[in-house]
Amino acid sequence: MISGFILRALEGRIVVTVGILLAVAIIVPALNLLTAPDSALHIPTYAMALMGKYLCYALLALALDLVWGYCGILSLGHGAFFALGGYAMGMYLMRQIGSRGTYGNPDLPDFMVFLNWKELPWFWYGFDMFPFAMLMVLVVPGLLAFVFGWFAFRSRVNGVYLSIITQAMTYALMLAFFRNDMGFGGNNGLTDFKDILGFQVQAGGTRAVLFAMSAIMLALCLIVASAITRSKFGKVLVGVRDAESRVRFLGFRVENIKLFTFVVSAMFAGIAGALFVPQVGIINPGEFAPANSIEVVVWTAVGGRGTLIGPIIGAILVNAGKSYFTGAFPEFWLFALGGLFIAVTLFLPKGIVGTIQHGWNARKAMKAAADAEKGRNAGAAPVTQQAQAAE
Amino acid sequence: MLIRFITLIFLVLASAATSFAQGSDPKPLFDQLADANFNQAETLVGQIAATGDPRVVPALNAFSEGDLYFRKSDKAVFSAKSAGSQLELIDPVTGESAGQVAKGAVTKIKVNNNLRRAIRAALGGLTLMSPDRGARLSAADAILRSPSAEALELVEAALAKETDGEVKARMEEARAVSLLSSDRSIDEKRAAIETISGLGASGLGVLNSVSSSIDPSLKPDLDKAIASIQNAQQLWNLAQNVWYGMSLGSVLLLAAIGLAITFGVMGIINMAHGEMVMLGAYSTFMVQEVIRENAPSLFDWSLAIALPVAFLVTGLVGFVIERGVIRFLYGRPLETLLATWGVSLILQQAIRTIFGPTNQEVGNPSWMSGSFPLGGMTITYNRMWIIVFSLTIFFALLFVMKKTAYGLNMRAVTQNRRMASSMGIRTPWVDALTFALGSGIAGIAGVALSQIDNVSPNLGQSYIIDSFMVVVFGGVGNLWGTLVGALSLGILNKFLEPSVGAVLGKILVLVLIILFIQKRPRGLFALKGRAVEA
Amino acid sequence: MSFKAKLGGALLAAALSTTAFHGAFAADDTIKIGVLHSLSGTMAISETTLKDAMLMLVEEQNKKGGVLGKKLEAVVVDPASDWPLFAEKARQLISQDKVAAVFGCWTSSSRKSVLPVFEELNSILFYPVQYEGEESSRNIFYTGAAPNQQAIPAVDYLASTEGVERWVLAGTDYVYPQTTNKILKAYLMSKGVKEEDIMVNYTPFGHSDWQTIVSDIKKFGSAGKKTAVVSTINGDANVPFYKELGNQGIKAEDIPVVAFSVGEEELAGLDTTPLVGHLAAWNYFQSVDAPVNAEFIKTWHAYTKNDKRVTNDPMEAAYIGFNAWVKAVEAAGTTDTDEVLDSIIGVAVPNLSGGTSTVMPNHHITKPVLIGEIQADGQFDIVQETPAVVGDEWSDYLPDSKDLISDWRKPMSCGNFNVATGKCGGKGS
Repeated sequence: MISGFILRALEGRIVVTVGILLAVAIIVPALNLLTAPDSALHIPTYAMALMGKYLCYALLALALDLVWGYCGILSLGHGAFFALGGYAMGMYLMRQIGSRGTYGNPDLPDFMVFLNWKELPWFWYGFDMFPFAMLMVLVVPGLLAFVFGWFAFRSRVNGVYLSIITQAMTYALMLAFFRNDMGFGGNNGLTDFKDILGFQVQAGGTRAVLFAMSAIMLALCLIVASAITRSKFGKVLVGVRDAESRVRFLGFRVENIKLFTFVVSAMFAGIAGALFVPQVGIINPGEFAPANSIEVVVWTAVGGRGTLIGPIIGAILVNAGKSYFTGAFPEFWLFALGGLFIAVTLFLPKGIVGTIQHGWNARKAMKAAADAEKGRNAGAAPVTQQAQAAE
Repeated sequence: MLIRFITLIFLVLASAATSFAQGSDPKPLFDQLADANFNQAETLVGQIAATGDPRVVPALNAFSEGDLYFRKSDKAVFSAKSAGSQLELIDPVTGESAGQVAKGAVTKIKVNNNLRRAIRAALGGLTLMSPDRGARLSAADAILRSPSAEALELVEAALAKETDGEVKARMEEARAVSLLSSDRSIDEKRAAIETISGLGASGLGVLNSVSSSIDPSLKPDLDKAIASIQNAQQLWNLAQNVWYGMSLGSVLLLAAIGLAITFGVMGIINMAHGEMVMLGAYSTFMVQEVIRENAPSLFDWSLAIALPVAFLVTGLVGFVIERGVIRFLYGRPLETLLATWGVSLILQQAIRTIFGPTNQEVGNPSWMSGSFPLGGMTITYNRMWIIVFSLTIFFALLFVMKKTAYGLNMRAVTQNRRMASSMGIRTPWVDALTFALGSGIAGIAGVALSQIDNVSPNLGQSYIIDSFMVVVFGGVGNLWGTLVGALSLGILNKFLEPSVGAVLGKILVLVLIILFIQKRPRGLFALKGRAVEA
Repeated sequence: MSFKAKLGGALLAAALSTTAFHGAFAADDTIKIGVLHSLSGTMAISETTLKDAMLMLVEEQNKKGGVLGKKLEAVVVDPASDWPLFAEKARQLISQDKVAAVFGCWTSSSRKSVLPVFEELNSILFYPVQYEGEESSRNIFYTGAAPNQQAIPAVDYLASTEGVERWVLAGTDYVYPQTTNKILKAYLMSKGVKEEDIMVNYTPFGHSDWQTIVSDIKKFGSAGKKTAVVSTINGDANVPFYKELGNQGIKAEDIPVVAFSVGEEELAGLDTTPLVGHLAAWNYFQSVDAPVNAEFIKTWHAYTKNDKRVTNDPMEAAYIGFNAWVKAVEAAGTTDTDEVLDSIIGVAVPNLSGGTSTVMPNHHITKPVLIGEIQADGQFDIVQETPAVVGDEWSDYLPDSKDLISDWRKPMSCGNFNVATGKCGGKGS
């Protein structure tokens, strides 16, 4: 009964967030497209692109929260899945340029032409088809996560060791993608996109749709994540996080549980990357940088891990701060960011949402206790029941 | 073109050496340098050398170092040395002072690589019979480096008079390389090839350069000599790779050893570790600045002075970080990652704000510069000292950990904090000191790394990932693991590099580490027992 | 329920507040220009100096009365060495701050990242760093060197003056070195250099252990032919590279190294005594003997209040770009992008090496190529100066770009006109 109560609360919170996201998905593009530029309600394209980016980051943070907050796997390599999803999308967008590239080669992207590549490498095949590319957005990060996790979880690599080797993974991928011989455009990455599904990437309408898609995908992933964590499976997941050995001794296949969550999370990250690329207009190996993945951890921690909603708020807040500081006080941005990390770990170990939730529950419990006190005095049975439920 | 001038120099010199008939005054030749372009200057250098006048040696040296000037008023050429804000002019021939002038009153005579080579060859010829042993040795070296048939007679004349064993041997080699391109007899050339094949890598160039023009009857000898050098080289290459690997390993060890304490022993995921290394490097920079300003003569001691300074500075910073941040986070290792990452950002930006984002110049003391040959390989002093240094630190640290009371306390606290505390150990104090020690050692590493890498705010970032890899690969909590891990990763890297290239080599090493961790999830030297689960 | 509302409100507010953050409005008596250089992250080491240089140029221009009777105002943002952030900041500068032009970027990646933004929002970027070429945008001016303004003259110098016959092309593994080395290899082979006399070597960013590569170079140089190294090694990795060269005793007289990314700023972190004689090719050196340069250095020292701060080639490129823009704006009488784009072509402004640089229809500029040898004081001795060279955006030595030209004058107005097919739009199919 107690758990049912909390569950209902959680469910309600998810519903509200999803509702807000869907509202944002409609209202922001509408305000961008339909209002006059000088109107007080107008949202400039610049701001919409920015918010779209935040939403992609929020989805990435949500992905990390699923593995870190619920399964105890601190991945320092989630940026790699994000970037791989981004590259899959970027490859599709590159193929869409077709003969409009500067060299007018219908098959080869510009960077291959001037490095004297004669034909398209095999791994670029199929990326001219949107459905295939979208499939790859899920499959490539998912497959990497599967292979990586299959080995790691089976050998019971965990804790700090796992964190460090995920970092090694993203670092190795960064070095690999920096190489021009890999065929992904080297350090310049993929850029100068023209069309997506026949619509101009830069056009206002396309931007609006991409923004809306980001919000909707975030909402969808949030529902999926919430469904996973609220299911029976989710309970086991938390069990794995808190006492892995005990769960194993109870007969669960811990490695499979972890693997499933890790793969789902990697796919979320891939989706985030795929939505990110057309909105910012570039994907390059810098996204694989270990520092980026650490930043994702920070957003999640700031918002509150293990809360699903926290990471979304954390990602948006930190990035909004970054946008503001790098414009207004460029020299102090790193001081602010560094200070934030320290302050959050020291004073808000549960993150913003975690702390509020904690405070909220405590207050509710107190109020309920007070009500119960009153109720007992009055001798009213239903109130007592409620108080018990709030314990 | 250059060859022609060197030829000219030696032709005239050779006759000078045998007959001493020349007696023209070099002074007007120097003065012509004022208006000469590079090609004309080359000719003039040849003519100056051809006078055979040994007094021109210092001025030619000055020329090659860019210290030759002409006076704007009368285009007279002088070598000059700095005298406060002014320049002291020195007559190029007599070596007498010609008074001081303002820097604006003279113009520097430009020198390029070709001129420098011409001067080197000229000096070689001029100083072969110098009374100074060192000068004769470098003269023989100069001829070794730019062999020409015309130098042959000169070398032989010098050789006849030479008594010093080492100089004589060097001159023999110089004679051999010069002989090869001369028109001497086949037998003499065959003997020369024999001599050159003993020279190792530097002889290879000489042999290769004549291989197309040499008499066909000598071709088998030549090919045999080349093959024998190459064979020997292959063995030496192996040794060289091991050495390079050890050198890279020692750098990794230096970078990781502080982390082996803060991360390995204390369990703090210390992302600010790289910044401690950086602070150590900046301490070295500050020490050197102070020395440059106040006591330039102490410069060779600057690293020795910087060591304790860096240790104290970074140790203190580490102490403050531990007391201010980390002590609230024990038992939550993953959160120390976040907090220390924040600390690292702040430290980086602070250094950037104070010193600026650009590289700072940290000089190499004379004993850290240069190299010496060891068989077929070249050993650079800085790399050698860094290997020695990193091993010294390692064993010193091992001693502190295993043999001192403080080390005992430290191990007790990290193994079982509560029990240690009940035994009367002041655990907070031990924690703070341990973190300070780890940071201080990172700072010392920074002193050494400042000798081979950029000193910039980004210095730490380039080592942090490698450091973690080393500690994890070696096994957390085990100092020996860190040593073995660092050295084996270094050597592995250096053996991969020649075959697959530096970039792919690095990627492969990372992949191998990931695979290795699957096989041995707790590194090479895993801790056993209950401490593992704690 | 109030909690949920609060939460939702916070989310929305966070999203919306960013728009309010930059509620900058352009006052009528100032013209804003954007400065888009990284002030943090890995590229800060190079780019911060350019930001200072831009601020100095703006200040100097304002002392002279500004532009069109209005003061200039520099809007500085920090893209933090993060390429997507470059695009975001560019968009912010153009659409929020309404800047008239932007001066910025360093790496090719950052330029590639902002290029679509400048084309979409129709603004102007002045890009002050040498780059690999193979690009021409209506909205970008490339005031740094194209490969023919740096790499090819340097190789020519080594071949003719030093008689080099064997070449090591060593670079950091990214697009600029790869392209430059491709061009150089094609160029050298067209000059009769054999394939086996060219060694190409790539290293990762920030590579610090050069032992193996330096000893490989030594071995390659022992084949009996005069050998030189052409280095496209990226800024940060140069210091350890040169240290290793010096320590292994490779002297410039034996194997000279000519570098395209090493300037006064990079040498400032280094004891250059063992490097004397190694070369660099740029369009400007601080040691240039010209009154305009002396004046510039004096102003720079006064502005930074530090008479040890060096000047370098990208600063000169920024100087040329800035002055060309000022002149074009004054000629057009407006800062309107289209009008400035028309009026800037053909604008000639003094460069710091004592001549003039002209903005060409292909959005590159003319400048002389200087070859300098490193001196013991960290400065360069200029050993050769060519007449002004026009930057060539499409290299003549790459098979796919040799037929392309770019001309942004009307009526052609094309960045990739194919002279073989007579059509705009690359090679065609």
